[in-house]
Order: sequence, then structure tokens, then C-alpha cells
Amino acid sequence: MKILEIQDLCVTYIAGEKRIKAVDHVSFAIDEGDSLGIVGESGSGKSTMAMAMLRLLDPRYTEITGAANYRGENLLTVDPRRLSELRWKDIAVVFQKSMNSLSPVHRIGEQFEDIYRVHEPKASKKEIRERVEKLFAMVNLAPRVYNLYPHELSGGMLQRTSIALSLLFHPKILIMDEATTALDVVTQGQILSEIKKLEKSIAVTRMMITHDLSVVATSCQKIIVLYAGQLMEFGYVRDVLANPRHPYTEGLVRSFPSLHGKKEELLSIPGSLPDLSNPPQGCIFAPRCPYATDQCRAHRPEPRHIDDLHVAACWRVKGGIQDA
Amino acid sequence: MKKYLLKRIVTAFGIVLFVILLNYVIIRLAPGDPVRIMAGFDNPSQELMDALTKKYGLDQPLYVQFWRYITTLFKGDMGDSYLYNQPVSSLIFERVGASLLLSGVSAVLAVLIGSTLGLYAGRHHGKALDRTFSGVAYMLNAMPSFWLGIMLILIFASTLKWLPTQGMVNIRKGYTGWAYVVDVLQHMVLPCATLVAVQIPTYFRITKSSVMQVMAEEFVTTFRVTGMSERKIFNKYVLKNALLPIVTVFGINLAYVISGSTLIEIVFSWPGVGVLMYRSISMRDYNLLMGVYLLISISVAFMMIVVDLIYAWLDPRIRYD
Repeated sequence: MKILEIQDLCVTYIAGEKRIKAVDHVSFAIDEGDSLGIVGESGSGKSTMAMAMLRLLDPRYTEITGAANYRGENLLTVDPRRLSELRWKDIAVVFQKSMNSLSPVHRIGEQFEDIYRVHEPKASKKEIRERVEKLFAMVNLAPRVYNLYPHELSGGMLQRTSIALSLLFHPKILIMDEATTALDVVTQGQILSEIKKLEKSIAVTRMMITHDLSVVATSCQKIIVLYAGQLMEFGYVRDVLANPRHPYTEGLVRSFPSLHGKKEELLSIPGSLPDLSNPPQGCIFAPRCPYATDQCRAHRPEPRHIDDLHVAACWRVKGGIQDA
Repeated sequence: MKKYLLKRIVTAFGIVLFVILLNYVIIRLAPGDPVRIMAGFDNPSQELMDALTKKYGLDQPLYVQFWRYITTLFKGDMGDSYLYNQPVSSLIFERVGASLLLSGVSAVLAVLIGSTLGLYAGRHHGKALDRTFSGVAYMLNAMPSFWLGIMLILIFASTLKWLPTQGMVNIRKGYTGWAYVVDVLQHMVLPCATLVAVQIPTYFRITKSSVMQVMAEEFVTTFRVTGMSERKIFNKYVLKNALLPIVTVFGINLAYVISGSTLIEIVFSWPGVGVLMYRSISMRDYNLLMGVYLLISISVAFMMIVVDLIYAWLDPRIRYD
């Protein structure tokens, strides 16, 4: 069953005269229980997409069109009161900079309490504390963290705190925005395996925003590759990473070392992101693409189906059904 | 914490001592001679001048004078004023209340009004009221306090005759009880308004920028995405985080509460320490000047400790061990 369906999502940042298309006609859907990795280099619109879905962008400086249907309700148009209800109870987030994701001058327990009471106003202190300590145990945190201030914790502990906070109401969708990026590889590995273990005990659909392909490879079922705000490829991780159909995905895969298999030279993708306030005509990746033809430079390719799920926005993908 | 406090008090004591020495040297290095001023400029007699020099010990070498000053100071005696022929301590004591009243009330009003407006402007940045406040704050900031004081006197005292022009009480009436309180309050309105008006912009801008900075912090986004109401986020989390810089500025201003309003005290003939300081400077009244400076340095040192303690109480990241 589809839990979240993004349709034709566009996000444009307005900065004075400039209009920057940060997310450009992105569509995809995920099922309940899925784990989706959203990858792309910095500035590709990964976080913007999540922020837009949650309506966290300042409407004075952004223009959002399209739809983000969560179980039949469009998050982009649902009325603010309903949105407040959905926030955290249904959709929770773990942010990248967990160092700053809590107030530095209030105790962690106090902040958990206030957040819990947003949705359960009558909850007693004791009840909340029991719930939070259970969550702390799940993410390997000592109960005493409840009485500490954020600065008294290490980066890894703070990240665990953020994860515990996100699980406060057993959300249906958990968005992890570069949640492990700032951590050392050992802690990152620990946290990833804890998340996978958690997922076995609680039903949650996870969206993982990252620029680290290895994180996606080890912890997600499906993957979206974004480039300059546009969807390049979408499909099962095993299909997309093993057999990338888009030249950009191919480039990304080749720029990561493989632990097993033969040693290959790592290749980077030459060039950098185009100016999004003045994007090139045709395929957005064409200026950096080794296979680009005149057709690519003149016309933008629509995402094309390779099979039921696997989609790539490239003229090189032949056959299949054309899809908007 | 206790150890820290003790350490701070000891350091503060050392600093005050050093400031006394520094002040003493600087005042004496400055040109001007109290004896000549006391003796009068028209044909002063040499005998009178010699007698005065001897009376106040000014004939001794500077280090002897300083040693004598410091030893009597430790006995609690700040010496006598040349000008008033009274003990410095009683002169200051008589006037410190008036200064504290005027500057203290103004400082409190200014921080309350300035930061309240700043909170609003920071929260509603870019809206019409924010722009109005910011414009007015800019104007007030550019205004010299004495000029504003004179203008207020001109308008509300001289022309409209709503309020008294100067002083702290109406000497001719000799009010007592409630009538006295009301009289003082009436005299206070204009100087207080002037002081508040010139201090508001500082608090306004500090608070506004502090609020805007805190509102852009990640944790505000966290709270928003949990569904917490904007009001709760602002009143509980943004407020406490934004408070710290205001405390700093308020503390520094309070430190100068005794002497900071000199200009305004002069404009309104307010019988405070500021006027005393001004007169002692122009008359080279060494002992009185030293006394006033001593009081200022003690109050600065004291307030800095208080501010640090408030800081530690507000911000858990600051702990003194």
C-alpha cells in the first residue's frame, strides 16, 4: 500500500529577482514499510524536498507546487491544525545537525516532555519519563541522559537522542536527513545497525537523505537519485546500484570504492552543478554527461520506465513505457 | 562555585586597588592645582596658598601622599573635600541615593521597554511595526542625550508648564510624606524619559538581532516539526536563548548606574553623584574625585560578578568550577 506519493513536486526559492528551482518536477511513491534512500550531491535538492513536504520552508521565499499525498491527504494543502496533528505523530524527522537540534539551555528531559505534551497534553511527568527511558534503552542511551543538557553529550549520543525523540510517537514515516553524516564511521555503523534492528520491532517507513551511497546500499531497499533538483533514477537499490541506467548514477557509483570485488580506479564526475536560477535547456545533466548528444542538449528527457518500478530520466533508456 | 566566587572577589579587590593607584597618578599628572583654585585667581596671597598646601598635605612627595591616602582609606576615611570642606564619604552618601533612583529606574524601564519592542521586532521581522520601531530606534540612537533633555525641558516644562524644569524636589514647598513622593516623581519624569529614550535603542537592537539569530537555529525547526505551537516555541525556548546578550548589556549599564547619567544630571540639576563628579573635576578636588572614582570602580567590579553569576544561572553551558 502506498504510504506517500509525491506528485510533480516543484520547489522554487525566491531570492530577490532570482528564482532558483531547487526541486523540479519530482514524482515517486513509496509503500508502507519501505526504506528509501535519497541521494545526490550537495545542492541537489534532497533536504529541500523533505522540508517542502513537511512545510518547513518559509512561504515568503519559496513557491511549492505539486502534491505530497500521505495516506490520501495532501500535506502541502492540508489545514495547519491537521498538519500539526500529523507532525511527529505520523511523520518525524532526525536532523543532520543533532548538535543544534535541541535547545542548549534546557534539559533534554524537559524538551522531551514539552514535545510529548504537544500531542498528549494530559500526560504525567512519570508517564513521559517511562516512555522516554524505554526509547533511550532502544537506542542505547543511559536513563540519566534525561536530566542532562545537550552540551553534556557526545555527538553520537546526541544523534541517538534525536533518534529517540523521533520515535516518541511511533511515527509511520521517519525522515533521516543526513542523520549519520556527521558521525565517525564506527558510530555511524552502530547507529545504522540499531536502526535496522529497530525497524524489525516497530513498523516504520524510513526515508534516508544522504550523499553516502554506502549508507543507502547497506540500509535501504529503494533509492532515488537526485541531480540539480530533478529525479535521475528511482528503483530498488539492488537494481540501481548494480546496474545503473542513468549516466549520473553510474558516475556516482563509480566514485565510491567497493569493499569486495576487484580494485578499480575511482572516477569523479567532472564539472559541477549547473546554475539553478538559469538551468540549461535539455537534460540538466548533459553538460557533465560523457554520453550527451545533441538530442540531450536540446530536449529534456522525461523519466522512463525500465520495469514496473525502475525509472530513469535519460534518452539512452530505450523502450518501456513513457511516464510523466 | 564557592571557590570561583571567592576567587572573583579577590581579583575584583585587586583590580579596584590597581584602579585607585592608576586614578591617583592620572589625576595628579593632569594640569591644574586645587590650591590656586581655592585661593582664588585675583591676586592670591602666597601665605594663604602655602597654608592651604600644608593643610591638605600637598607639599609632601606624591608617594607619601598616596600612602597616606591609602592607609586612611582602609580605615574607612576617604578624606575631606577641598571644595565643600566636608568628609567625602558623607558628600557621596548624601547624593548616591538620588543617582541610584534616577539611573536605576531609567535602566530598568529602558531594558523592559527596549527588549520588549526588540522581541516583537525580531519575531515579526520585516513587518510594518518592526520597520517603524527600527527607524525610531535609529533616530533616538543618533540623538545626543543632553540635547534631547533640553528639548524636553523646552516643550514640557518651559512651554507647556506640565512638569518642573529642574531639581529633585520643590525646595520652597518642603513636602513631606506622600506629597514628597509625588513631588519627586514629577521631577523625575523628564530626566528619566531622556535617559530611557537614549538607552532604548541599545536594548532594542541587541534583542532584535538576538531573537532573529535564535529563531534561525536548528532547534526551532525541530520544535516546529513536532507540531509545537509557535507561541510555545517563542515564549519558552526562543526567549531564554535570546536573553543572554540582554543580560550582558544590562549588567554593564547597571555597573555605571552611579555615574553614567552625569550629563543628564547636569542638564536637569539633579542632585546626584554625577554633578558632584563634574564639579570635583573642574575644581581639582582630588579627594572627592578619588572618592567618586572609587565608588564607580567598586560598582563595576561588583556588577561584573553579578552578571557572571546570572549568566551561569541562565546558561547551563557556563559552569564555574
